[in-house]
Amino acid sequence: MILAATMNPEAFSGAPDAIAGMRRGDPDAFTAMISRYQHRLYRYLLRLVREPAAADDLFQQTWLRVMEKIGRYDAGRNFESWLFSVAHNLAVDSWRGQRGESLDDAGDADESPRGGVGGGLRSGDPDALERLLDFERGAMLAACMHELPAIHREVLTLRFEEDMKLEEIAEMAGITLSTVKSRLRRALEGLREAMDARIPGGG
Amino acid sequence: MSEHESMRELLALAAAGALDVEEQRRLEAHARECPACRRELEIWGGYSQGLRQLPQPSIPAQLMERTRTRLVQERAAAADRRWDELMLGALALFAWTVGLTFWFVARIVTGGELVIMGANLVRFGTWSAGSTVLVWLTAAVAAIALGRRRRELRRAL
Repeated sequence: MILAATMNPEAFSGAPDAIAGMRRGDPDAFTAMISRYQHRLYRYLLRLVREPAAADDLFQQTWLRVMEKIGRYDAGRNFESWLFSVAHNLAVDSWRGQRGESLDDAGDADESPRGGVGGGLRSGDPDALERLLDFERGAMLAACMHELPAIHREVLTLRFEEDMKLEEIAEMAGITLSTVKSRLRRALEGLREAMDARIPGGG
Repeated sequence: MSEHESMRELLALAAAGALDVEEQRRLEAHARECPACRRELEIWGGYSQGLRQLPQPSIPAQLMERTRTRLVQERAAAADRRWDELMLGALALFAWTVGLTFWFVARIVTGGELVIMGANLVRFGTWSAGSTVLVWLTAAVAAIALGRRRRELRRAL
């Protein structure tokens, strides 16, 4: 298949233009939107599935599904929320029938209260030692997050990295607002338990 | 559940900015009086900051290009499928028209009687049934041949 000799995704500077272009099937419009969202979408999928190859495949499938469904996309709805919703549903479909991972509450952690004493985490001034500590903290948080159930990784990613509002998370994941808050609390407590297990004792 | 315990349940959500106005007000009022909860808020604040500064993954090489290629290929494949369906529909209609024409001619030439193995082939029902079977068989063979050709072309690309 010969690709377009010239690509001009810059022609789609605004999201509404790009969405209109995608509806017409313009490859440049898709390129513009993929470029705009690739880092965030890939990061979200990687946090969810934890395997780069699986995240890569889901990323491509997400855009294929967007191309298939863009004609039915409601322009009144936030595109980002819709895009992440498509990705979320594909991740759920990919796990259907597999054991272990799930984006249902059945796969949720238990409600047991947090044990252990939390280590004091420092935020700091940009001194070299502080930067090193921040870097190590980030790496350890990422490692602990990796151990959490998928529904907790998802809600933490959407809230803290994507900066989505709780209502947007609820709409995207097809759950109630109270469920979002509940998962968020359990996710944070689970994360802190995992950190405590790695760094026992007080600070 | 004591006031203190109910406040502790709000601490993690406070770090996530997930409290409503009333919950936030109650927590702030309690924290002013409770050093332990103030300390907990600081700790959760650290988690909040850390989660916003996680190491970022690298995008795989040429992910965008590969995705675009796949989109273009799928779009071409969808267009091919639509074209194939249209052609098959048109061919089936053409075959029906030819069949109907031949039926008229056959009736005129044979005077309405062409009996083979006990069946009058120029009866409309018999002719229709035979034509339908022939058309669908031909369409199935054409669809298989077209599909094979498309797959070979894509593999060659």
